[in-house]
Amino acid sequence: MFRILKKSLQTGVVTGQHPAGAAPSEPLSQDAIEKAKPFRRSLTIREVDTGSCNACEMEMNALANPVYDVERFGVHIAASPRHADALVVTGPVTVNMERALKAVYKATADPKIVIALGDCAIHCGMFKGSYAVTGPVDRHIPVDVRISGCPPRPAEILAVLEGLRQEPATSKT
Amino acid sequence: MSDARPAVEQVQAAFTQAITEVCAAHGIPMLRVKKQDLPTVAHFLHTNPGFRGSLSLLWAVDHRPREARYELCYLFTLAEHKDWLLLVTDLHGDEREFPSITPHLHAAKWYEREIRDLFGLIPVGHPDLRRLVRHEHWPKGSYPLKKDFPWDRVLGRVQGEYAFRKIHGEGIFEVPVGPIHAGIIEPGHFRFSVAGEPIMQLEVRHFWKHRGVEKLFEQQQLNEAVPLSERVSGDTSVGHSLAYCQAVETLQGVEVSPRARYLRTLFLELERLHNHIGDVGAICNDTAYALAHAHCGRMKEQLMQLNDRLTGSRFLRGVNCVGGVALDLSGLQLAQVEVELNALEQDFSAIEKIVFANASLTERLENTGILTESIAWDHAVIGVVGRASGIDRDLRRDRPFAAYDMLQPKVAFYRYGDVRARMRVRLDEIHESIRLIREVRRSLPLGRLVSQPMHQPQPGAWALSAVEGWRGEILYVVMAGDAGLIHRCKVRDPSFVNWPAIQWAALGNIVPDFPLINKSFNLSYAGNDL
Repeated sequence: MFRILKKSLQTGVVTGQHPAGAAPSEPLSQDAIEKAKPFRRSLTIREVDTGSCNACEMEMNALANPVYDVERFGVHIAASPRHADALVVTGPVTVNMERALKAVYKATADPKIVIALGDCAIHCGMFKGSYAVTGPVDRHIPVDVRISGCPPRPAEILAVLEGLRQEPATSKT
Repeated sequence: MSDARPAVEQVQAAFTQAITEVCAAHGIPMLRVKKQDLPTVAHFLHTNPGFRGSLSLLWAVDHRPREARYELCYLFTLAEHKDWLLLVTDLHGDEREFPSITPHLHAAKWYEREIRDLFGLIPVGHPDLRRLVRHEHWPKGSYPLKKDFPWDRVLGRVQGEYAFRKIHGEGIFEVPVGPIHAGIIEPGHFRFSVAGEPIMQLEVRHFWKHRGVEKLFEQQQLNEAVPLSERVSGDTSVGHSLAYCQAVETLQGVEVSPRARYLRTLFLELERLHNHIGDVGAICNDTAYALAHAHCGRMKEQLMQLNDRLTGSRFLRGVNCVGGVALDLSGLQLAQVEVELNALEQDFSAIEKIVFANASLTERLENTGILTESIAWDHAVIGVVGRASGIDRDLRRDRPFAAYDMLQPKVAFYRYGDVRARMRVRLDEIHESIRLIREVRRSLPLGRLVSQPMHQPQPGAWALSAVEGWRGEILYVVMAGDAGLIHRCKVRDPSFVNWPAIQWAALGNIVPDFPLINKSFNLSYAGNDL
C-alpha cells in the first residue's frame, strides 16, 4: 500500500502533458457541430475497425491513457453500438468487413454521428483500388466528421472531439 | 548460425530419388524435390532428431508471364543446425494439385489453405479445405495472387456460409464473438464451444481485414514500397519495413553502413519497448488492475512522444529506407534518449514490484492459458509466445541482423507457457531493450546513412529476410520483376503462425479468462489478414 501511494505521489498528475497536434486539414462543418449538439456534454463512442493497419486503434486507445484522459471531457468508449452516440470508423473498408460496418451503423441508435478516422477511412490511403477494398467509409455510410492523418495523433483527435463540444450558434470554424 | 551443409548431404543421401537439384540461394541451402515426395521429405526433416526442422514459411510464386509454372517453397528452420533449409517444388503448366504436408506437420495447415485461396492450387489430402482468406461471399474462381487476376478487380458477392466445427454433448453451447469486439481492437471472430464456463473448443475465424497487401506490393517499384510495408501492421512499422528493406538490399547487393545498422537496431528496440510496456499494462487491465494499466499507459505514451520527437512519427515511420536509414540522430539526442530511458527503467521497476506484490493479480496469471511446449513445437510457434513455452528461438541471437552480431542480446526464456510466462518474457525483454539501446549509444560508429545499390536485380531473382520484431519473427520474401517492379512479395507476420496456437491455449480455461489469454498473446489481425 505504501509503495503504491509513494509511486502515485512521485508521479503526480500527468494529464495534459503532451505537445499540441497539427491543425486539422479539414475544419469541422457547421452541420457536424449542429448534429453533435445533443452529445455536447457526453459523447459515447463505438470504434469500428474496417481494415486499418491498427495504428489508428493504438492512438484511439492512447486517448484513454492518463495523459489524454478523454473521459474528463465526457467522452466514453462503449462496448456495443447500441450504447453509442458516435461511430469512429478506421480503415479502408475491406470486402470482408463491408457487411459488418453496415450492420453496426444500423444497430447504432439515432441520432448518431459518424467520424472517419485516418487517411484510410477518408480516402482508402495506400489501399485504394485494391480488389479487397470497397471503401472509403462514406461510400457505405454517411460520414459527418473526418480526421486525417496516418495515423492522426491523439492530440489531434482530441482537438476535433473538443471542437464538437462547442455551442453551434457562437462557433466560428 | 552454423552450417547446414552436412544436413543437406544427409537429406540427399536419404532421398536420392526424390531430389532433383541441390543449390543455394543467398546462402540458404535449397533442395528441389519431386512433388510426390514432398510429404516424406518434410516429415523426415520434422521428426528426425538430427534435424528437428520446423516449418518457418511456406509460400507460392506464380512465374507467369515468363514461365507457365508455379513454385512452392517450404522453408525449414533446423533446430539442431541453427540454420535454414529450403525445399522447392514446381507445378508445371496446368497442374493445380500438390500433396499436402499438413497430415505430417500441423504448422502447414494455414499456409496451405492460404495458397489454395490466393492461388487456386489444391493441397491434396489436407484435412480442412474450408476457405481461409476468401470469405464465403467471394465468387468462385477469384484467386487474387494469380498473375492473370487484375489487382483492382471489383469482386461480386455470392451466397455462402462458413461451417464452424461443431462439438456435441449435453449442455454444450456456442458463444460467437466478433468480428467487431467490445474494446478498441481489430476485427476477428472467435467461436467458443463451452460447457458451462470452461472452453471445450475455440475456433478462430479471421481475415476480415484482408486488404490485398501482397498484390499491392506487386504494383510497386522495389525502392518505393517501404511505406506500404510500414502499414502491414502499424504497431510493427519498424519491424516490417526493416525486413522489407533487408530483402531488397540483398537483391541489390547493398552493403548497409555500420552506423545505419546500429540506428536500425535502436529504432527496432524502441518499438519493442513501447509495445511491451503497453502489453504489460493491458494484461494487468484484463485482470481489472487499473492502477498498473494507468502507469504503463503513461510510460508507453512517454515513449511514443519520445519517438515523435526523434523521428517526427509516433510509430517511427519513415526511418528505414532501402540502403540504410533516412534520418540521423545527434549525440545530444542520443544522450537525451539514454537519460529518459534510465529514468523510465527505474519508474517501470517500481511498477513491476507493485504488480508482483499483488496476489490477486498474479493468481489470475498463473496457470492461465497454458500453451505446452509440445503444442508450441507442433505449431512452430515463435516470438514472445514461443519463448514463454520452451521454444528457445530469437533471430537477434540465432541469425543476427542489423547490429545484433555486435551486441549479444540476452534471450528471455521460460517453460511454463502460461500468461505469467508471457508477461515475464516481456518484462525481461523490456530491461534488455533498454540495455541494448544504451549499448548502441556507447558504440554507435560514424559513417554514412544510406548506401548505394551495386546492381539492379535480374527479373526472377529473390531474397529472403528475417527480423525479430517485438512479436516474433517477421519474414519477407521479395522477388524482383520486370522494370524494377516487385514480382512477388510474401509477407509473414508472426501472428499468422501464433493465431492457430491460441485455439489450444484457451482449452479448458473459462470464457472470462480468454481476453486475458488473448492479450498475453497480443497478435496482430492486420498482419495476419494482410
